[in-house]
Amino acid sequence: MTTGPTLDLATMSPQDPLADSAQTWRGDRTPPEVLPRELAQVDRDAPARVRWRALWRRHAIRRDRAEQTLASALEPVRGLPVARPRDVAGFLGGLLRERAWLVTAVVLANALAAAAALAVPLILGRLVDAAVAADGDVAGDTIRTLTLVVVGIVLAQTLFTFAAKWLAAVLGHGALAAAREHVIRTVLRLPLGRVESASTGDLVTRVTRDVGAMSDSVRFAIPEFILAVVTVALSFVAMAVNSWLLALPALVLMLVALPHVARYLRRAPAAYVTEGATYSRINTTLSETVEGARTVEALDLQDVRRRRAADDIAVSAQAERYGMTLRNLLFGVMDMAFSLPRVIVLALGAWAYSRGAVSLGQVTAAMLYMEMFYEPFDRLVMTVDRLQVGIASTTRLLGIAAVPPDRTAGTDRPHGSELVGTDLRFAYRPGHDVLHGVDLALRTGERLAIVGPSGSGKSTLGRLLAGINGPRTGSVTVGGVELLDLPLSTLRREVALVTQEHHVFRGSVRDNVILAREGSDDEAVRTALRTVDALAWVETLPEGLDTLLGAGNYVLTPAQAQQIALARLILADPHTLVLDEATSLIDPRTARHLEGSMSALLTGRTVVAIAHRLHTAHDADRIAVVSDGRIVELGSHDELMAANGEYAALWRAWTS
Amino acid sequence: MRDYPPLVTAWTDRSAVASDPTVPDTRSPGRLLWWFIRNQGLLFVVCALLSLTWVLPGATAPWILGRAVDEGIVPGDTARLGVWVLALLAVTVVGAGSGVLYHTMVVRSWLVALYGTVSLVTHKSVQLGHVLPRRVPTGEVLSVSGSDSDQFGAFLEIVTRAIGEFIALVVVAVIVLRIDPELGAVILLVAPLLVLTSAPLLRPMGNAQTRERTRDSELTGRATDIVAGLRILRGIGGERTFGSNYAVQSQRVRHAGVRAGGWQALVESIGVLLSGLFVVALMWLGVARVRDGQLQIGELITFLGYALFLLQPIRTFFFLTQKATRAFVSARKSASVLGQPDPWPQDREGRLDPSGPLVDQASGLWVEPGELTVVVSADPDASAALADRLGRYLPRDVDPLSMDSDEDARGRAATAARRRAEEQRRTIQERDREQADRAWGVTLGGVDLADVPLEEVRRTILVSDTAAAVFAGTLQDAVDPHGRCTREQAEAALRAACAEDVYDITPGGWQGLLDERGRGLSGGQRQRLVLARALAHDPEVLVLVEPTSAVDAHTEAAIAERLGRHRLGRTTVVMSASPLLLHHADRVVFLSDGAVADRGTHDDLVARRPDYRRVVLRAASEEVPA
Repeated sequence: MTTGPTLDLATMSPQDPLADSAQTWRGDRTPPEVLPRELAQVDRDAPARVRWRALWRRHAIRRDRAEQTLASALEPVRGLPVARPRDVAGFLGGLLRERAWLVTAVVLANALAAAAALAVPLILGRLVDAAVAADGDVAGDTIRTLTLVVVGIVLAQTLFTFAAKWLAAVLGHGALAAAREHVIRTVLRLPLGRVESASTGDLVTRVTRDVGAMSDSVRFAIPEFILAVVTVALSFVAMAVNSWLLALPALVLMLVALPHVARYLRRAPAAYVTEGATYSRINTTLSETVEGARTVEALDLQDVRRRRAADDIAVSAQAERYGMTLRNLLFGVMDMAFSLPRVIVLALGAWAYSRGAVSLGQVTAAMLYMEMFYEPFDRLVMTVDRLQVGIASTTRLLGIAAVPPDRTAGTDRPHGSELVGTDLRFAYRPGHDVLHGVDLALRTGERLAIVGPSGSGKSTLGRLLAGINGPRTGSVTVGGVELLDLPLSTLRREVALVTQEHHVFRGSVRDNVILAREGSDDEAVRTALRTVDALAWVETLPEGLDTLLGAGNYVLTPAQAQQIALARLILADPHTLVLDEATSLIDPRTARHLEGSMSALLTGRTVVAIAHRLHTAHDADRIAVVSDGRIVELGSHDELMAANGEYAALWRAWTS
Repeated sequence: MRDYPPLVTAWTDRSAVASDPTVPDTRSPGRLLWWFIRNQGLLFVVCALLSLTWVLPGATAPWILGRAVDEGIVPGDTARLGVWVLALLAVTVVGAGSGVLYHTMVVRSWLVALYGTVSLVTHKSVQLGHVLPRRVPTGEVLSVSGSDSDQFGAFLEIVTRAIGEFIALVVVAVIVLRIDPELGAVILLVAPLLVLTSAPLLRPMGNAQTRERTRDSELTGRATDIVAGLRILRGIGGERTFGSNYAVQSQRVRHAGVRAGGWQALVESIGVLLSGLFVVALMWLGVARVRDGQLQIGELITFLGYALFLLQPIRTFFFLTQKATRAFVSARKSASVLGQPDPWPQDREGRLDPSGPLVDQASGLWVEPGELTVVVSADPDASAALADRLGRYLPRDVDPLSMDSDEDARGRAATAARRRAEEQRRTIQERDREQADRAWGVTLGGVDLADVPLEEVRRTILVSDTAAAVFAGTLQDAVDPHGRCTREQAEAALRAACAEDVYDITPGGWQGLLDERGRGLSGGQRQRLVLARALAHDPEVLVLVEPTSAVDAHTEAAIAERLGRHRLGRTTVVMSASPLLLHHADRVVFLSDGAVADRGTHDDLVARRPDYRRVVLRAASEEVPA
């Protein structure tokens, strides 16, 4: 038995990565408290005054925590950027301007419906006046006339309500559809380098949860907002028309309440964003627990996971308490501001009636208005609330468009297909180059395998050669032109990075194959499928090329999914392929069936294979051994074996 | 009185299940809902009372106003007027104060139910462990916590509100019947009719809304799909195709939404029409009775006021039936998740002796204590199944049916599907219990794994499979989740698994944060981190399934060498066909058709068995030819 080669990573790296281990290790393993002491412990036995003060102290701490969460949600350290609220106002304004006539119609219909609703109490007041004047014995004519007027008003209100609600739905859904389609267009324009490096989690949250929140606000909050503003404004008009004196109490108390409402609206977004964040944290933890249930059981992590869930809930409860206290402050003020006027109106009305300044009908109408007024104002506050949540989400959606482009296409087109990298350096973090001046010229039609330990820079080299990222220094050219100067549509026909993610899209077989050359005819699609031995089974599908694939539709086997992925590349037809095994956990059981399909794809192309398995390297024309950001060995299998270096040692360990 | 977050102890202690009041009653959906109410205790009663005092001003204000007009304003009696104004002030202040208190208590009640459900789901999931995915699809477990929990909160709120408003309704009924029995009867009978009249329209509206929701979730699916495949779309192309597919679906959602909006507009405007006509009718009748001298002017005002007020409680009862239906659906799903029993027998008391050999009767595997044994199999499924047996894990042979395909689905097909799913879950439950009860067929030191408590098996034997999860948290927690290691032990585990680069790329070292599921690490990094964790756990018997499948050859070679050194003298079984690992094995076992075909060193087997050579060689050639 040959002893394996001693490839100690610690000695290969310039310094031990664990050098600062002692500084970052935490010796004290009592689980850290998730809440500050003042929030976690409430003294229920203290005197009332102390507890009252402690309550406000806790409220202030919760507010600081919520404001911090909001600030970090608006300026994420990692992930995609976030737009400014001003951009959102501009964007929403633009959506409404494009539908100016519809907005006008919605406002008008709402105004008419509200006016009709507000006319009824006036008439009921008249009726009371008529009854008082006739000492109960109202003339039949008067009753008939007033009744008919009310019937007319009710009919008008019905029609206008229908029109207002329906037009609002047309407006809301139209604006929403435009907004989400805009978002998806910006997602589909994200720079290639960004897409390849970022994790998709942030983007998934944005296109699901944030689109949902935006949808709530665009669909419901905007029309409701229009309705509520119109109703509140008209209510004052109606009350003043009825009796300006009896309108005064409501007006005065509303003005008193307004600063509180404004303060609530200023504070509320932080509370809602924080609550939302704590719930998604709860869900994330639970889905980790559920998906990793077996790991939890294997490692005896039950207590750890339960404690983590309890911690998440404790944090969430604090966010909820903050939101609840904010709302209580608002409700307390609003309930008083909107229910006290009815007491004042009654007293004031009685006094004014005794002096002959108002009629009993006016008092009745004013009292009815008081009961009708609370609801639209309450709704106005709540829709502003929802609008703010929607705006927070929309800033995140519009932020996607703020990612700067990573390349600008020039006008030069390649002459020939030689891919040459010179003096390549690259850093993911400034000052930490992972490649240190690599030179590599591909020979047309060759198979080049790149091997090396993880972290050596071999995947980065592959990404530079495929034009995913641009090098910090040096250049990668194809046919004499920098890869980064090519428009994506041209680049894709020169070189492609094959990560072998066998993602099957929701769409037809055709949609799944023609990606690179949209608009190809069915014959081209069939030819591509035939080349990878997939046409036979595709034709047995219920609808052939039109069969829908992807989640919820026809399910492909892993091997079939891989064949579809390969057919895409056949159709794209780039002359150079970069295969990254690291990101392709090929199922060994399907690989056997795919050998034919794969070799059909590779035939006649230049191939760079970032290899995990030495067998891949053995079959290649040349092998580049990358270590610590440099190519340390380059040559054919036999040459490298003769050189008796690192590769040779590894190969002997593998095969002996 | 209960407060949030609630303390939930259910299923934390296997022996105390029967006596724990936080264990829910899952025998039926109805019982579960009733349990939620009982579980709230005094809080529920307080909520109901506060909801009554909150609506009482609305219920009494029209009457007070009428009295004030008749006794105070019209006759000009300032003293009587003063009494009624003060009465109005009193109910108004009580109402406003109750509003704040009711809100506080109802939030409390809602969150006790919501957080309680989240805790119950968490506790149930960790109690069942690997048995959970056999019984219930993951998505269903998550939706109980994510959305059903909210339904329970909403249910409790609407029940307390309905109780309060029902009492208010009785108060109003007494008032109006005493003023004028005939007119009162008209009001009390017509108001509910009005709300019910719009009921026939609710079904088409509901259908339209369901269609909108279905289309919308398909749209969200498309958006997620685009993001999931974005590397392909930006790398190879297809932005136009999928962008326009999305736009087409987005427009379908818009059409469905506008249609649902139309129905909703119709329902609402008919509501406006009916309540408007109700007011007209009252006005007509009321004035007629005033003319007859049967009604005073203030009493007319009272009636008109109640015409507006009465629609509210009736609307609440309407919501109550809707939300109760939803809560019932949620309760059915939750009962099915929370009611899953744990299959393991509780009466075992034996101990395992890790100094003895580990033996699997089905395959004939014999693992010597203290050795590094590598199991090679032509069929990766066979070695994975063997690893499951060695750790006393139930086989991965079932995928449970889902019960919540569509919440809104009604009719015979949906009921049949649900019944089928329930039936299947019960069958699996029984089979699990039966499997867990009989002899397991794997012995450690001569003791069958079924003769000792499951905890003893888990403590002694650790199986780290290919699907092992990485959890969010600090790197230190990821390697040493129990906080049992010294720094030196954790470092040694990290080095043995060649996972130093994970430390290096995590800003903050041991305290650096990993994202959920280790997102942001490469597949190889995650795999090495899982290996480091298993080594740091330091079990008596360690079973590793394909521990280096995502690792490059350089690193694999280093792991192969360090692994044996790290586990020196401890029993270790590795399922792998990698020659780099096989070199370092004390013993290699060759599995053919799920049974041991040969055993020896790697060199022996290479020399004497062509079929072994083929498997080991194929493991090397099974790659993409380049």
